[in-house]
Amino acid sequence: MADLKDIANETIRDEITEFVEREDEQEKMIDLFAAVTPQMQNIAAALIEGENDEVDELTKAALGDGIEATEVMDDGLIAGMAIVGIKFRDNIIFVPEVLACARAMKAGMTHIEPILSESGIEAVGKVVMGTVKGDLHDIGKNLCTMMLRGAGFEVIDLGVDTSPDDFIDGLEENDAPLLGMSALLTTTMPNMGRTIEAIIDAGMRDDVQVMVGGAPVTQEFADDMGADGYGKDAIDCVELAKQLLSELRGEEAAGA
Amino acid sequence: MNGRERVLAALAGEPVDRTPTCTPTSVATVELMDLVDAPFPAANRDAELMARLAATSYTELGFDTIMPVFSIIQDSSALGCEIQWEGKDNWPTAKMTRPIWAEPEDVTIPSDFLTHPDTKCVLDAISILKREYGDEVAIVGKTMGPWTQAYHCFGVEKFLLLSYDDPDKTRQILDRLKTATVDFGRAQIEAGADALTLPDHATGDLVSAKYYDKYLTDLHREFANELEVPLILHICGKTTEFMDYISQTGFAAFHYDSKNNPKESMEIVHGRLALVGNINNPTTLYSQGPEEVAAEVTANLEAGVPLIGPECAIPLQTPIDNLRAIPETVKAWHREHGSN
Repeated sequence: MADLKDIANETIRDEITEFVEREDEQEKMIDLFAAVTPQMQNIAAALIEGENDEVDELTKAALGDGIEATEVMDDGLIAGMAIVGIKFRDNIIFVPEVLACARAMKAGMTHIEPILSESGIEAVGKVVMGTVKGDLHDIGKNLCTMMLRGAGFEVIDLGVDTSPDDFIDGLEENDAPLLGMSALLTTTMPNMGRTIEAIIDAGMRDDVQVMVGGAPVTQEFADDMGADGYGKDAIDCVELAKQLLSELRGEEAAGA
Repeated sequence: MNGRERVLAALAGEPVDRTPTCTPTSVATVELMDLVDAPFPAANRDAELMARLAATSYTELGFDTIMPVFSIIQDSSALGCEIQWEGKDNWPTAKMTRPIWAEPEDVTIPSDFLTHPDTKCVLDAISILKREYGDEVAIVGKTMGPWTQAYHCFGVEKFLLLSYDDPDKTRQILDRLKTATVDFGRAQIEAGADALTLPDHATGDLVSAKYYDKYLTDLHREFANELEVPLILHICGKTTEFMDYISQTGFAAFHYDSKNNPKESMEIVHGRLALVGNINNPTTLYSQGPEEVAAEVTANLEAGVPLIGPECAIPLQTPIDNLRAIPETVKAWHREHGSN
């Protein structure tokens, strides 16, 4: 197990000691950051502080130094977002602060994405994402989309105010096995259930795993609507997408 | 006591014969639209239909209030936001993806703000309701706070990022927008509103309690001074940490979300304002039955919550038997406990 003093960047050390309260998570974060270079720690620290210009410059410089794009993304940007995710989950920071960190991540990803798409690395899986009909609140969905892309998923983002038919078209056109729906309003949440019903009516339910999320959404509501999974936040969403995909592939393998 | 007297007494912290049932936000449903032939979207734009649908909270459901402003976009429309009016079974919404303003100096309240068809519709509906039901139940109006208006006019993400990047600009925007809140509120009072809901979505899931205090406590105190009827602040989400700040604003009541425990919330506000709420919408009112509704109503009554109602605007497909269970449970509870 690594030690806090193995981490060169002071901001990262402070963030871990001050804000990562759970012992297992603290150990995990120390191991994570102790294993990456000081240059990557600096990118992560700038991201945690929401400094998008700094992340932009540091990412560009790292790539210019010949560091692999995947290393900058995983060890700098996504590692930084891991701390941001913990702070958001534990109500240490809220959406404005997360948006600033996401903006910083986007600044870094602007340099990384073209390299990754040129390299032809195969996506982990395909996800169709959208905010349900009648709802124009897409901050959470956008954060999930960003984190999914960072984790190697190909995301087809249908945007806001997405009707059941649009979700179905998006799934069919892209042959995607995963669907993510978000809603922020208690008045629009039932449209998650209506979309799932439409997927059943279209005879596609067995081929698609459905995950839902959004501030007022709960596991209980997700179960009531017939979703396969509920994600509390963007970090959760990535884990859930991986889990649902592996379940689907497991079923396919068992059925083959 | 009749419904009006009961609601106004509870908002003033005075004794009541039984706990009033209150609808600070919409209880319109598709079923009610069919019942009185006043469907969305017309019922958001035609005063007579708006009043007819709103009245069902009293005539069909048995609440002690009528609140005709179903959506949160009537005043945004008058400010110039593009509105998606939707159909019968979906809520109208402001197109926040097409913001109308970018800088504080862009904020101007149009000269026709109170005569615009979508604000005038509300004022006319309140006049109708006051004339027809004003002696029996409390007529509650609704004027949006500047934080919510900023979401609609600047875009949610842009405004939240601005609040992080530039507190001075954020305050300038809120300060310029507050005129709309006060003007629309005053016009509704003149039209006959007994009380006003003031939604200001510094939602507990989006921002911290410190953020609320940093940007809104003082502004909300101004509203409480300037609008001379009881004000009911509405903020969704987990807000127990906000409640101490809210209790210092002079608002008569806080409409609180089911994410907050009734007993804990009552302890925090400690008699400084009334709580209204907090029956869960998506799980209980929408998906479950009258028994589960009754259990939540009872939890609120046992905690001493002074006004009972849904936590927020309800889904349009909510079964009306679940809504009726709110006043029915309140009445039954009081019968059991020896009052009314």
